Amino acid sequence: MKLTNSSRWKRFIQKDFTPYLVFAIPLGFLVIFLFWPLITTFLRAFMGSGAKLSLSNLGVSNFSKFLTSPLYQKSLRNSFVLSFSVVIFSILLGVPMGYIVARVKLPAKNLILSLGILPVIMPSFVGAFSWIILMGRQGVARHFLQILLNPLGITIPTIYGMFGMIFTMSLIYYPFVFLLSYSSFSSANPLLEEAAMLMGAGKWRIFWTITFPLILPSLGAASLLVFIRAIGSFGIPAIIGGEQYVLPTLIYFRVNGFWDLNGAAAIAVVNVVITGAVLIFQKYVVSRRQYETISASRSEQKLYTHWAARLFGGLFCLVILIVSLAPQITIIVMSFFEKWQGLLPEGLTLANYKRIPQVSRSELGNSLYLSSVATLFTAILGSIIAYITERRRPKGAAILDLAIMAPFVLPGTVVSVALLSAFSGNALIPLGGTFTIIIISYMIRRTPYVYRSVVASLTQLDPTLEESSTISGANWFYTFRKVSLPLILPGIISGSILTFSTLLQELSTTILLYGAKTRTVPIQIYIAVADGKMGEASALSVILLIVVFIIVYVMNTFQGNKMVNSFKLG
Amino acid sequence: MSLSLRYESVDKIFDEGSKHAVHALKKVSFTIEPGELFCLLGPSGCGKTTLLRSTAGLESITAGRIFYGDRDVTTIPPFRRNIGMVFQNFALYPHMNVFENVAYGLRVRKMPAADVKNKVTEIMELVGLQDVLRRNPSPMALSGGQQQRVAIARALVYDPDVLLLDEPLANLDAKLRRYMRAEIRRIQKATNITTIFVTHDQEEAMAVGDRLAVLRDGIVEQIGSSDELYNQPKNPFVANFIGKMNFFNVVVTGLTSTSVEVVLADGTKLSVDKKQYRSGEDLSKGMELLVAARPEHLGVCKEKKDPSLEGNVTIIQHLGHIVRYEVKVSLTSSDRTLEIDMDGMVPSIMEKDSVRVVFDEKKVALYTKEGLI
Repeated sequence: MKLTNSSRWKRFIQKDFTPYLVFAIPLGFLVIFLFWPLITTFLRAFMGSGAKLSLSNLGVSNFSKFLTSPLYQKSLRNSFVLSFSVVIFSILLGVPMGYIVARVKLPAKNLILSLGILPVIMPSFVGAFSWIILMGRQGVARHFLQILLNPLGITIPTIYGMFGMIFTMSLIYYPFVFLLSYSSFSSANPLLEEAAMLMGAGKWRIFWTITFPLILPSLGAASLLVFIRAIGSFGIPAIIGGEQYVLPTLIYFRVNGFWDLNGAAAIAVVNVVITGAVLIFQKYVVSRRQYETISASRSEQKLYTHWAARLFGGLFCLVILIVSLAPQITIIVMSFFEKWQGLLPEGLTLANYKRIPQVSRSELGNSLYLSSVATLFTAILGSIIAYITERRRPKGAAILDLAIMAPFVLPGTVVSVALLSAFSGNALIPLGGTFTIIIISYMIRRTPYVYRSVVASLTQLDPTLEESSTISGANWFYTFRKVSLPLILPGIISGSILTFSTLLQELSTTILLYGAKTRTVPIQIYIAVADGKMGEASALSVILLIVVFIIVYVMNTFQGNKMVNSFKLG
Repeated sequence: MSLSLRYESVDKIFDEGSKHAVHALKKVSFTIEPGELFCLLGPSGCGKTTLLRSTAGLESITAGRIFYGDRDVTTIPPFRRNIGMVFQNFALYPHMNVFENVAYGLRVRKMPAADVKNKVTEIMELVGLQDVLRRNPSPMALSGGQQQRVAIARALVYDPDVLLLDEPLANLDAKLRRYMRAEIRRIQKATNITTIFVTHDQEEAMAVGDRLAVLRDGIVEQIGSSDELYNQPKNPFVANFIGKMNFFNVVVTGLTSTSVEVVLADGTKLSVDKKQYRSGEDLSKGMELLVAARPEHLGVCKEKKDPSLEGNVTIIQHLGHIVRYEVKVSLTSSDRTLEIDMDGMVPSIMEKDSVRVVFDEKKVALYTKEGLI
């Protein structure tokens, strides 16, 4: 006996419709502000430069530039060389450091871990410009090293160009590799290695046949993270790239120099295709080796205690930490001086700070306003979408998951180009130069942080808790308020804090979207650096550093040292 | 006032229309009496949990109707059904203390604070947790047995029409499980709320339930009291699921007005009372049947007796109140190792010995082969 139509109808109207209403809004947002811009970008990429958005103008002239223009070819090659080199150097720095900190008895490990994460949570363009102070043409460290090495006939290259970009980025992004391989090395079950030892394997053999294969998945995830950051980075190539263009700076060049959105869209498409290819490679080649450790019991990690291991391990970590944190220290020193071009800075002063309220008041206000509003909306959007995909498991949840994570791998400049393509000029909804378009771009880029964080809380939240509430007579909204929300709140908060602290330093998206009234602090710093006002840039950066540091410090005490996981992908 | 609970040809198909459609419930129809403690029993995947979740409204059924008393609740969402449910993992809210956990359903019903307090105190006394309520800790700080009681109290506090227990004892250790099943029966009888208890453990079901339903592949195989199911199972599946049953392949050689003459593959002849034939099909000469014997309806001995069968002892297990002999006989007689329970050790019999398996002809039953897994 099938249900009759009338009872189907009865069941329909008896249903609780609040969830569907609540779910419709974020889905609408995604369609309008993510899918639509991405589609227009894709279409624009096939329109000749300056052509109207119309199907009759389809063509591949934008892409053929990659075959004809030396600038395009060079940029593409630079992006490749830069990203892969940064991945390799990050692994060379991060894996040994992770192994040492995990397996060698060292003092102050927690401090090493906390200092190790600093480079990634600090604005990357700050790192870039402080390397100019250290290693630029008049650079302090370069000056100093030159005196030492000149008799040997070695000249130190300046920081400008490919070498500088690889150097700076590796030092900024190695913590991903370091922290993820540290956590794999320290959480690997020592019984597995002990079993290999009992079967007669030597230390070297154990490392290559047991220890290393087990951390491969983590290493793959970390490398992917570094690659995505490196290929999408705008600030570092813009500040120290010099003549060496990469794809994100090329996009900026097309938009800012020629207002050629169609050309920029084509570069963006190429950029995304490369990132996507690497992502798929990682997913199908590396992730497939994910191992479930089968074990009933585990024992404590045995640490190396030999003095030589401790000495060389300690020195290795110390050197990396000092070099990678040198920019932050330089910036703080610089902010109190007028100039720093010889060995020592000159002209101790507070003027750099005193000037901030006059020249940067509106920028500080804008940064705070944009970041907090965007964080608020991101938190709501990310939480609801996480709830839908995780709890309701609608048909196409996988597509939703993919859509929400896509901006995570999209370079900031690409997101800007997409939004400009859809909403600038005489678009249906004109948003060019408004606060709204920046907020939307921030939401699109940071929703993955909140989303992942909430999904993680939700997977730990047993669905029977919600069912049990329903059984007790509570409707969907009551259950959500009293049971689901309180239990996923920690996830929402940590995702939001991460969002807020990264938005305060956001440059690559804002750079294409800001107008006279919507300048933010990172933009101001970028312009100050371009004008050579290092003092002003440093003082602003120090303020940014302090704010971000406080936020992250609070968050770390709040949820333990798991922050690097929030950056992780899939 | 307790309500009856009635199922009318309930069907549930998961992913209907897709390639992976699973027919979880097939035309399930039966009635649970008011105030009854009713067990749903069956192997995993038999549909017992689906039937329970459909009763709660957590799953919508594909066809058929479900009634609480005279009220058709088929289309009513779970939060308007007034039911109590205890989940396998208890599903206590970790962010609320014990009092708030128990009071949850009352808060949903907007009961005044003073009444909430009275109700919670009353129900916590019933489940024997007055002391815990006084300390009022987080439920996570309680032992498994205490969490179980809190979960039961939470489900009972708002006087539900029906109480649903989804494998409530599965997460407890063996000793506590035996204790709690008696407690559950005591609490259920004290409140007299119509209750469904889902389990895959036949011993638990027999100990707790007023009546049991045995499910297999979405079909109710048999409903009855523990005694009926153990002593009069309708088919070989129920027979072997409720307790252990040994089966022997036989052929009917003769029929009298009161008894059935059968012969085993090795020529051993048995004469079984016609009343012990439990399948529906008409008997005829030459028909292949199964002789079913509980472990206590068989015996082992060294000397040849009639009727008996040759076998080899593989394992002897001393279980305290009985001694279990596992005996292998020729595959044509019985394709599985026999389990035979004796009241005590037979001193002359060792493992690997060749023995005679004797039958208690008055107790063994006959089935057609249908339904044997």
